[in-house]
Amino acid sequence: MIIHGKWHSLGSAAQSVAALYIEDDDYRLEIDGGQTYSGELQSLQVSDRLGNVERKITLEDGSIFASQDNDAIDRLFKDHTKLNNFIHAIESHIGLVAIATLLTITFAFSFFKWGVPWASTKIAHALPQKTNELIAGETLKFLDKYMFEESKLDVEKIEYIREHFRSTLIPLDEKNNSINYKLHFREWNDGEAGIPNALALPSGDIILTDEFVKLSENQDEIDAVLLHEMGHVVRRHTLEMVIESAFVTTAVMLITGDNNGLADMGVGLGSLLVSTNYSRNHETEADLYAFEHMLVAKIDPQAFSDIMNRITESIEEINDEKSEEDEGGILDYLSTHPSTAKRVEQAKRYSKCFQIGMIICDTSTVNSEH
Amino acid sequence: MKALSFEGSGFEYFKIWIVNILLTIVTLGLYYPWAKVRNRRYFAANSNLEGRNFEYHATGKQLFIGYLIAMAIFIVFVIIQNVSPIGSLIVALLFILALPWIIWRSIKFNMRMTSFSNVRFGFDGILGGAYINYLLLPIVCFLALYGLPIALAIVIPMLGLQMNALLGIIILVAVIAFIVLAFFLFAFLKKRNTSYAINGYRYGQGEFSTNVETKKFAMILLKSVGLSILAMIALLVIVAVIAGFTGIANEILQLKDSLQDPEAMQMALAGSLGMLIGLVYLGFIIVSLLIVAYLYTRQRTYIYDNSNLDNKITFASTLKARPFAWVMITNFIIIIFTLGFGVPWAKVRMARLILENSQVNTNHGFDEYLTQKQKQQSSLGEQIGDAFDVDVGIGF
Repeated sequence: MIIHGKWHSLGSAAQSVAALYIEDDDYRLEIDGGQTYSGELQSLQVSDRLGNVERKITLEDGSIFASQDNDAIDRLFKDHTKLNNFIHAIESHIGLVAIATLLTITFAFSFFKWGVPWASTKIAHALPQKTNELIAGETLKFLDKYMFEESKLDVEKIEYIREHFRSTLIPLDEKNNSINYKLHFREWNDGEAGIPNALALPSGDIILTDEFVKLSENQDEIDAVLLHEMGHVVRRHTLEMVIESAFVTTAVMLITGDNNGLADMGVGLGSLLVSTNYSRNHETEADLYAFEHMLVAKIDPQAFSDIMNRITESIEEINDEKSEEDEGGILDYLSTHPSTAKRVEQAKRYSKCFQIGMIICDTSTVNSEH
Repeated sequence: MKALSFEGSGFEYFKIWIVNILLTIVTLGLYYPWAKVRNRRYFAANSNLEGRNFEYHATGKQLFIGYLIAMAIFIVFVIIQNVSPIGSLIVALLFILALPWIIWRSIKFNMRMTSFSNVRFGFDGILGGAYINYLLLPIVCFLALYGLPIALAIVIPMLGLQMNALLGIIILVAVIAFIVLAFFLFAFLKKRNTSYAINGYRYGQGEFSTNVETKKFAMILLKSVGLSILAMIALLVIVAVIAGFTGIANEILQLKDSLQDPEAMQMALAGSLGMLIGLVYLGFIIVSLLIVAYLYTRQRTYIYDNSNLDNKITFASTLKARPFAWVMITNFIIIIFTLGFGVPWAKVRMARLILENSQVNTNHGFDEYLTQKQKQQSSLGEQIGDAFDVDVGIGF
């Protein structure tokens, strides 16, 4: 067998035309100008196959024979380059490349859809509760300084809600009694209108805005929202978000490591969509936590749907915007909360359970009644 | 003058790229250094000048430990950033302090691991130079630039001056001085960084050298800024005309009422206002791309024209702003519409454009020059070993 190429002496840029002759296990290299090398094939080192780039065969004295006759070289050095041949075999087989592409898409999708949330939950719950307090840190002070004002609600009303929260809601979840819940009341305005909202910090601080308390018509509705916020705390959603974003950022950097800035913008948009998907899952989880505990506390989950509807209406009124026509459309992907309609539907399912006196509600059985 | 050529193809690279990604996923990221070597090698080995090609020699094993360290640091950084503002500030400061060293190590490693026609490149710039060029000078320039307006803001009230003609003139002079200073400082930085990098490059024992001047860089910068001001004005006029005709202007005025509510904001953003914002966004991207392309290609041409190897081999860049911007924009579109799977084609297109517009003067004894480069590189040794290799964008 003959392989044609060129030869460089050690460290030299000068190149001479050369030919490599192979007989059984021996080689003979003939270089233009008369020089020859010969020896056992095994003493030669060959660089990895990569597409169709030039291969470099290093001789014992460090000089180099370079050739682009890749197929012949592959046949000769079969045993030297097993792993590399395996990788090249995949790369050069169109069917295997197609499978690799499909596998990559599947892996990437599964990783972001299930892998990241699963691992984040595991990690978040493996960390001590101290971590949660660490993350919450100065957040409340920050909010007080820049967003909130002191509550203008009746002191009696506040005390009543606090007392009820302590005596009725906290004991519902004995498994998580290490969480130090604290209830705060704040006024949150934007311009004239108050914003109806409830927030939970990972430390267990739950904040209710004045407008929210005013909007609620009974204690059940407040309890429903408080349980929802407790759900966020118990399930460690803030911590999960931190871990998830670490995962997403790292994965994105790995995959697109050496791209230009423009591609990064597309990637940024992608990770935004991914992370809003995560936070919607968190909302659904917190809802379920609330429903399950409402059943135990004998509160009709309907209360949750009532207050959600009223908050949505109130927000729409404030902005006097057109009605939400686009339920489930593109907005759904960008929204950090599941659409109100979906949440209300879920509340109704649990309400059915409540009406027939169930404490544990398997939504799938209730579903099948439809 | 002879241009380089690129002999790879998009599809061939795609096959390598996708297998790299799959193996990286399957090995939970551990294969990444080997994948990186295959990527780098593909582009080096397919770059060709007169039948001689480049080669990338690093092995996955060499990159592996540095990669593990980099990943660990990166993950810790992302977590700290989310957890503690003060912690992330400290980490960022530490990173800035380490950056010149990282850049220096990376240039040194990557140059040593690259060869052309069997002779390796190298980098002899000293570490102190990296600290001066990538840390000290940028900080000095930054302080000088911001020092002027801050000084004015302090001095004027202290003097208790009233707003009058004299004060107006003082402010005008100060503003002009500020702008001139800014141009000078940026150009000066560019000159220093370019000189540090190129004068440190080696080819075997051959030395690259460059004699670029601050004045020329300042002129290029001045033209770029002038162009971008014109382009931004044109863009704003176009947008204003469109907004006026379609009545979107009214919508914008109403928008401030819905600031408090993210949902209403989303509704507005999904509507015609969103379209307009998208259009402006797109316009800005295209305009800034054109400007970046102009600045980059002009600087590149200037640097190539004024650099040489051992005073014997000269270079030239024929890269022009419009084709460069065109490839950037179309690459962006390819990547977006293929959800990232077009990256290999995009990279190959860019490599081809850049190489085909890089010229080397091979007329006068290029072969003889190369032939002399014998056995000299061995003295540089292979002592680099493992590397903490980070992609830093100081390519020319």
